[in-house]
Formats: sequence, structure tokens, C-alpha cells
Amino acid sequence: MKKILLLFVSVLCTLNVFGQTDAKLDYSAVNTVTKVGDTLEVKFQYFKAKDANGADIDASLYQFDFQYNSKLLNKISSTWQPTSTSAQKALNSWNGYKYNPDSNKDLDDYDGQYAYWLGSSTSYSTNSDWSVERVTYQDVTALGEGAEIIKYKFIIKDKANSNYSNYTNLLNANWVNLTKSDNTQIGVTKGTSSFNLSLSNIQGGDAGNVSLSVSSNVITDNIGDGSDFSYTIYAKGDTQTSITSGNFDASGDATVTGLENDVEYDVYISIDSEKEYLDNAVTVSDLALVFAEAIGGGSSPNGISTTFDYYLQSILSNVVGTSIPDGGDISFDDSYEMLAHLQGVTSTNTTFISKTGEVYNVSGVKSTFGDEVNGIATVSPTFKPTDNDKSFQFAHAIVGDVNFSHGFEPTSTNADIPASQQANSSVARMSMAAGSKFSQTSEEANLDLTSELKDGQVIFTIGSEVQEMVGAQFNIVYDRTRLVLDDVIFDTGNTMTNFSNHIEENGKINIGSFDQNFEATVKTGTPYKLIFVPIVELQNTSGLITFKVNEGVKADGTQIKFIME
Amino acid sequence: MKKVLLLLSVFLLIGCMDDDIISPIDDIVEVPESLEIADIQGLKVESTIVSDEVRMNIKLPYTGTYRVKIRDISKNLISQEKLDAKEGDNILKVYVSSLENNGYTLELTDDNHDIIGIASIVVNN
Repeated sequence: MKKILLLFVSVLCTLNVFGQTDAKLDYSAVNTVTKVGDTLEVKFQYFKAKDANGADIDASLYQFDFQYNSKLLNKISSTWQPTSTSAQKALNSWNGYKYNPDSNKDLDDYDGQYAYWLGSSTSYSTNSDWSVERVTYQDVTALGEGAEIIKYKFIIKDKANSNYSNYTNLLNANWVNLTKSDNTQIGVTKGTSSFNLSLSNIQGGDAGNVSLSVSSNVITDNIGDGSDFSYTIYAKGDTQTSITSGNFDASGDATVTGLENDVEYDVYISIDSEKEYLDNAVTVSDLALVFAEAIGGGSSPNGISTTFDYYLQSILSNVVGTSIPDGGDISFDDSYEMLAHLQGVTSTNTTFISKTGEVYNVSGVKSTFGDEVNGIATVSPTFKPTDNDKSFQFAHAIVGDVNFSHGFEPTSTNADIPASQQANSSVARMSMAAGSKFSQTSEEANLDLTSELKDGQVIFTIGSEVQEMVGAQFNIVYDRTRLVLDDVIFDTGNTMTNFSNHIEENGKINIGSFDQNFEATVKTGTPYKLIFVPIVELQNTSGLITFKVNEGVKADGTQIKFIME
Repeated sequence: MKKVLLLLSVFLLIGCMDDDIISPIDDIVEVPESLEIADIQGLKVESTIVSDEVRMNIKLPYTGTYRVKIRDISKNLISQEKLDAKEGDNILKVYVSSLENNGYTLELTDDNHDIIGIASIVVNN
């Protein structure tokens, strides 16, 4: 009898475990949409997990990622639905990313996908068609059964301006992190609603809708997003009275109305000059390109005897003096102005180096961006809507950013400087690697950036075992409410030109080194050390010091974008 | 009188003892319930949504040198602390004032970069 009872209890316990049901995250359309320009509202709902007895399993943290197709949807707003005053809420957005799910788990196994995301370094990859939203809701009061967590509103975009032939692939959840108050995970699967929007009948845009798009590495590399850009449209040849203006959406698209068919217009695109990342646009990599040009080329503005790869680089590196179209060229004046900029020295000259608060925009039709005409790079602002053509693509770059890290690298073959015109015979060109322009190539580098609390000071060290580096730059941000910079110690070698630009009011310091002769290299070991004095009591230093730009230049001119373990 | 002398001697002996011997309580870390970690090692933050600063517990298998890393959406390293910590619970802080509002991954590793614990935080300054 005892054995039977034991068996019965064991079975009961087993059933108890397996009798639980997962929580559910459900997302569905609130309204019906039928045409381009309609507003689609999507709600995210939560259904509780149940234990084997059917009792609710309450959560205290509700966090999930979803992604939407930014070529077909333009996010315009989001609204939290719970009204609890004790709740903490946060929303994050990343434009240009798509989730790579764990293929060994069901797509609807949301807690399984969360565990995968947490431990994976490749779960998100860049993808210009998709944007990711992260929703985080935390409360001591548990949400009720079927509670609506948040609603999002999107505008339906014209599929004619995308590579999609229908609206079936619009939005999906990636993972869910549902946690009980004791920090244990709750299993989560997809809710029962099917996200069928019946959009098969959506038609293309009205004849009056003209689509513009802007391309830049700011968008592609997720430095910012398309909404950082704005456009102003004029009648062709007029730069005084604008016809219309507006902003691009997060993916860099805009729909313009009020234009006439078969009329030519000029559009000028600007980037929001207050964006902080613009302080990272001009770096030691740009400086290396300009110095090389000043040393080995630059005797002519027309691409003859040049070290550049594109004609447009002459325009972007001409940061002081006479403009290229008016006969200027790239000289040591430009390179030393750029070095002074990195050193934080205020020039008495009028310079055109883009930074936060001061941007020099270059924009034009994407397909001909930087094309050579009479030996000089050109950009065209002109477009003409017709009955058959209402979609136009533009590109954007900024002066000073010679390696296009924050701009669009030309793709037109007419924008390339032929090898025969490059200064192959010059010392500089011979030492420069082919394709010494901006490269997406990154290098795993033996570099260790750490902060430590030592003897009452916060020591930030940059340890490097990277060989053959003629230049390096690190843009550091520190918590100025807790730290004061006390000292910067360089140990880069005797012949390097070191720079440190401390912007105290913003808690920023840019440090680095460069050898303008491309000969000396940054010493390995601990070339840079920052010493901070805490102004509040600290137990440790996590998060107090962050690094924004970590890049180097090799003797052959190639850029090293450090990836650290 | 003998009793008084004996009592005085006991007080004298206690007074001469090493503080560590009489106050082992110094090494006991009081771990708030919100930061308790059941496993022998791991990382836990007091709140996922963070403004200004948040407490964290790093529970370690051995006394030694460890690293606390902060990574962005692409898992790029953007901040790293190196610290000496002791076996067991260590209640520390993550300061987020200089971080942009965004989602980050917090990572605890040993000095050889082997991961001990991971947590997600959302900065909402």
C-alpha cells in the first residue's frame, strides 16, 4: 500500500510540473487599414501562466523585443496601457537591425529565444529593412489576465518604394523576458491571435505622393537614424524661397506632397547639427587620409597626383582656404587644421570641420553622388517627378569626414579616381594600401580598456599590444557628477604627436596620437592612462567611464576598428 | 578579590586579541532579498530599469580579479571595470549617468573573460 501511495504521489508531482501552462504574449491589429497612409494600431497583450492547479503565476518584469518592417511601416507613436503609478516603464528603439533567432528553438518559444539572445553575440545583425523595439515594464503589482501592455501606431508606407511585393511580413515578436518577483523565469509562448491584416488590397500611393530617401552610414551603421535628417525643397535653381520642407522617418524615407509632375526641383538635405555623435565624425583616420594627401598628392585639385580614392574626398578634406571648385587644393593647411581640431585648439582661421553644433552638409542624387565633371566632384540636388517616377534616392556626407564614417561612400564608378591618376610614384601613395578609404573591416585587437578603483583614485588604462599603429584615437565619456579628471599620462613613444581634447562641461575627453610622417608607431604596453578623482564615495567604477570611438590607423593607411573581448 | 582580578584578566585578554578574531561579522555581507543569488555564482541587478545608479550582486566562486562589462545592442564593449572581489556575495553598484538611454547587457567575467553571469539593463535617465 505504501508503494502504491508513493507511486501516486510521484505521479502527482510529475503531473504538477508538466501541468503548468506558459504565459502568452499576443499582438494583433486594433483597426482595419486599406490604403497607403492609413494608420495601423497594434496592441500587445499579456496572458498569465498557470500552475497545474490552474492558479495564476504572476510576473513582476515584462520585457520583450519585437521588430517591424521599416520599409512598409513608419512608427509614429506608442502608448502605455497600464495605469499603475508604481510601474517603471522604458522603451528603446534601434533602427536597421533584424533578429537572427535560435534555429533550434521554435520562433514562438519566446523565453527560449530570450535565453539565446542573452548569451549570443550575433542575435542581432544590421538590416536596413527592419527596426527593433524593446518594451520593458516592471511593477510590484502584477498585470491582470489579458492586460494590454502597450499600443503602437504605424503609418502604412507605399510598397512601391520598397523591395517587397506585399504586406505579409510586417511585424513579429523576437523574445520575451517574463520574470517573477523572486527573479525566476516564466515560460512564454505566442498568443492565439494571428497577425493577419488583410492588406492584400493595399494600393500604391496617390499620384501626388513623392517619395524621397536619404542614404548615409549614420543610418546604415545605426549611429543615429533617418529621423536625424531633414529636407528642404526649392524650385530648381532657387535657394531663397523653399516650397516645402520636412523630416525623414527613422529609416530615412519621406513622403512629400504638393509637388507637380514634370517640374524640376532642387532638394538639400541636412543632418541635425545638435547630434552628439557628430563629435565622433572627424577622427585620426580622417587626419591620416588628409596628411597622406598633403604629403604625396594634393598638387592639383583635379585628381591628378592624388592619394584619394574618390573625387569627393577632396571636397570633404578641404577644411580651410580656397574651395576646390575655385582652384584650392589639399595642403598641410588642411591637415594641421584637422590636427588642431582633434587637439581641441581653436583656430583663428575660418574652417569647415563638422562637429556637434556646426555641420557642413553635402547632399545629392545617390546614383551620381560625387561624380567627376571636369576633374572635380559634383553632387546634383535636382529631381523631377513624373507620372511614372515618384521615388528619388539621395545621399549625404559631411565636410571633414573624409573616410565617410558618417556619410555615404560613393557607389558610382564615375566617382572613383582611376588608379592611373593616383600618385603611385609618391612616397605616400606607395605606403598607402589600396582602398585606404573607410572600410567596414574590423580587426580583433589585443586592446584592454579598463577602469579600476585604486588608492582612492579611478584609473582608466588603455592597454595595447597592437603593432604598427601610426595613429590611434579614443573618445571617452565619463560621469562628471562623480569624477573629476586629474591627469592624462601618455607613454606612446618619443616621436608621436599626442593629443587630448577635454570638454569638461560634457564629461568628454578625446585622446590619441598620430605620426604625420607615417613612420613612428604607438608604443605597446599602456600608452594611455587617465586618472580621475572621485567627488563622491565610490565602492567600484562600473559604468563610470564609457568609450565611444576606439580606432587606429596602420602604417599602410588602413583603418583599424577595434573589437574588444 | 580573586574573582575581580580574574574578570579583569579576561577583559585584558579580549582587549589584546586581533580584531579579526573577535569580529568575523565584518566579512559577512548582508544581501538584500532583491539581490539574493541561489547559485554559487552569478550576477543580479536590483532593477532592470535603471536611472543614475543601481545596486548589483556579483557572487563569486573564488576571491580574485574579475571584470564587469557593459555591452550595447550589437554586444560591442562600451565600458569595463576590473576589480578585486572576494568569494561569495559582493554588493556593488553600476553607475549609468553617462550612458545614453538605451538597452544594455551587463556581463560578469573572470580575468580571462570567461562569463560568470549576464543581466539585461535598460537605462532610463
